[in-house]
Amino acid sequence: MFDFLQAVVDGILFGTTYSLIGIGFTLVFGVMHKINMSYASVSIGAAYAGLLAGSLIPGASAWVVFGFALAFGGVFGYLVYIICFHLIPIRNENATLMSTVGMLLLVDELITHFTTGSPQNYPSMVEMQNLQFGEMSVRPDLIVVFMVSVVSMAAMLALLYRTRLGLATRAVAQQPVAAQLCGIRVVRVNAITFIVTGLLGGIAGALVCSAVGTLSILITGPLTVKGLIVTVIGGLGSVPGAIIAGLMIGGLENIFQHFRGVTERDLYVMLLLFAFLIFRPGGIFAAGRGRD
Amino acid sequence: MKRMALAVAAALASIGFAGNTLAQEKTVSIAAFGVKSGVLRLFGLNSEAAINAAVEEVNRSGGVKLADGSKAKMVVQPYLDDRCNAEEGIAVVRRLVGTDALVAIGPTCSNVAEPLYGILQKKVDDPKDTGLQFPILTDVAIKVGLAQISEWSFRNVPNENTMYSSLYYWLKTTRPELKTVYGGVEEDFAHSRASWHVVMKERANANGYTVLGESKWLLNDTNFSTQVREIKKANPDILSIAAHPFTTCGLLKEMERQGVKPKLIVGLTSTSSQETMQGCPKQAEGMIIPSSFAPVSKEAKFASEQTAKKKGAADLHSMAAWENVFILKEVMEQAKISGKTDPASVQADRRKIRDGLAALKTTKGLLGTNKRTADREADKPYVFVHAKGGNWQVLYNPL
Repeated sequence: MFDFLQAVVDGILFGTTYSLIGIGFTLVFGVMHKINMSYASVSIGAAYAGLLAGSLIPGASAWVVFGFALAFGGVFGYLVYIICFHLIPIRNENATLMSTVGMLLLVDELITHFTTGSPQNYPSMVEMQNLQFGEMSVRPDLIVVFMVSVVSMAAMLALLYRTRLGLATRAVAQQPVAAQLCGIRVVRVNAITFIVTGLLGGIAGALVCSAVGTLSILITGPLTVKGLIVTVIGGLGSVPGAIIAGLMIGGLENIFQHFRGVTERDLYVMLLLFAFLIFRPGGIFAAGRGRD
Repeated sequence: MKRMALAVAAALASIGFAGNTLAQEKTVSIAAFGVKSGVLRLFGLNSEAAINAAVEEVNRSGGVKLADGSKAKMVVQPYLDDRCNAEEGIAVVRRLVGTDALVAIGPTCSNVAEPLYGILQKKVDDPKDTGLQFPILTDVAIKVGLAQISEWSFRNVPNENTMYSSLYYWLKTTRPELKTVYGGVEEDFAHSRASWHVVMKERANANGYTVLGESKWLLNDTNFSTQVREIKKANPDILSIAAHPFTTCGLLKEMERQGVKPKLIVGLTSTSSQETMQGCPKQAEGMIIPSSFAPVSKEAKFASEQTAKKKGAADLHSMAAWENVFILKEVMEQAKISGKTDPASVQADRRKIRDGLAALKTTKGLLGTNKRTADREADKPYVFVHAKGGNWQVLYNPL
């Protein structure tokens, strides 16, 4: 029983990394009603750029690397907006979806090219052993990731509901044409949304790599899949939903692994996704309505 | 004016002579393929660099002697990327069959080699078997027992059974206090899986160790908390990790966080590379791995330096590729290939090379003599290396 509980705690804590990525996916969807498939990949790209920039400063601490990752995240977020959404007819949903898939593959190949596919040692944010609570142990770095997720959520909600930019963002999300008629610069609002999610992606990428301990393109594929699952299960466009779904997926993964083994684990996660799509297509935070 | 005309005529004559020489320069073509994209890209880059460096060396020493006594320059076709994908590997070799390449070096991945060998003719001279008749001399794909699939497939990869058997025996002798072994295995990767279940586990048992169990994970897993708790619970003396650098590093870092310290860690052959030292140099400190390459001899140092000039790193895989080029030169000369480029001659030369490879009993390796087995595999000399100060250093040299 103890093993089971420990596995659940481990999973929930690691689920914080899924939450962080899920928030980025869900924000873009919430504002633009578009899926940015390249989000996880670009986030890891920002983390890698941060690592490279940090390596140029002798003796730079992990926090300097994270600072660079944050900055690069914002820049990359803007570039993704320009390349995949601004230059491509935004009304063509398939075109923007495919362009972000293309961006995902491009960023993956770029990281592969520069790292020759080798895993890169990523600095740990919290250099200490696990915290012990009786027999139960908890990873301190994942607690920090969880706190960052919660702070990010609070900041996002404050931005959306307490600022003029947030008001404009919500207006664009609800009625883009009406918002434009009211004088809101839709393109600017969309660009800022991508920069903000990019900044968040930079933090997320750095924290995920820090939690894993290494940076590798092997991370981007599973993270993209988990980010999408979290977004769907949490409810498309719901930031609190992304956090809860991330923790839930992390915990369930370890439960499935505990009972069915590692080779069947992902099978059940996918089945869970289908269960949500069929029985609760709007996700956890959706109003109860039919899938049609 | 007359003098000028003479000079022009002389220049034209010399150009014509040079052109004639170039036209007459004979070549024998070999091909190379493996992974040059994705997480295993480094394997392909290193093999490519080693092959190019070795071919340069062959040509510097005069090239390849043909059946008519003339010399031909060895040329290697551009390295082809199979992306560690079986279908792409098969497509690459099907394409190569239509070229003048006499033989191919590759592939990197065992999950490519296995189906790829399957499309080659299984038994030579079997009229009912329409499989490809194209010799392949593999440098990297290391999963045990693959070359027996076809009589056209050959490998110059280390024998993991021999190496791990020797390692566990050596540990039993030098560290008699170690009694138990626990495995950690990347369950969805052909080489890692086979290395634990068929090689490490069996060899540990055969050498009198008690195998306590195993923890499993997948190639792109990022969370190892459950697996490390299993290891902690088993409390083994030796942890044998059959995984590639990314997950090996992930596991080692989680072990550090949970304070799990087995008395000894044994790693997978492919992990004795620079990748591990980039990913987790501190956590890998002390890990022991058997390897068929270390720059311990004059030849090995030279090969390593030449490969470095081509921007490649010398390891057990890339140096097998280097050896393969010299094996092929020797076989081509002994088999007296014609070097002609018409399809019939190319196919005849391929057959001669196949027969020559099959007839080999030994080959010259960088660490000593490589034995060839009846099932077209190699039995190579090896050393035990360990991670020390961010580098792989020779711990024990049984040579």
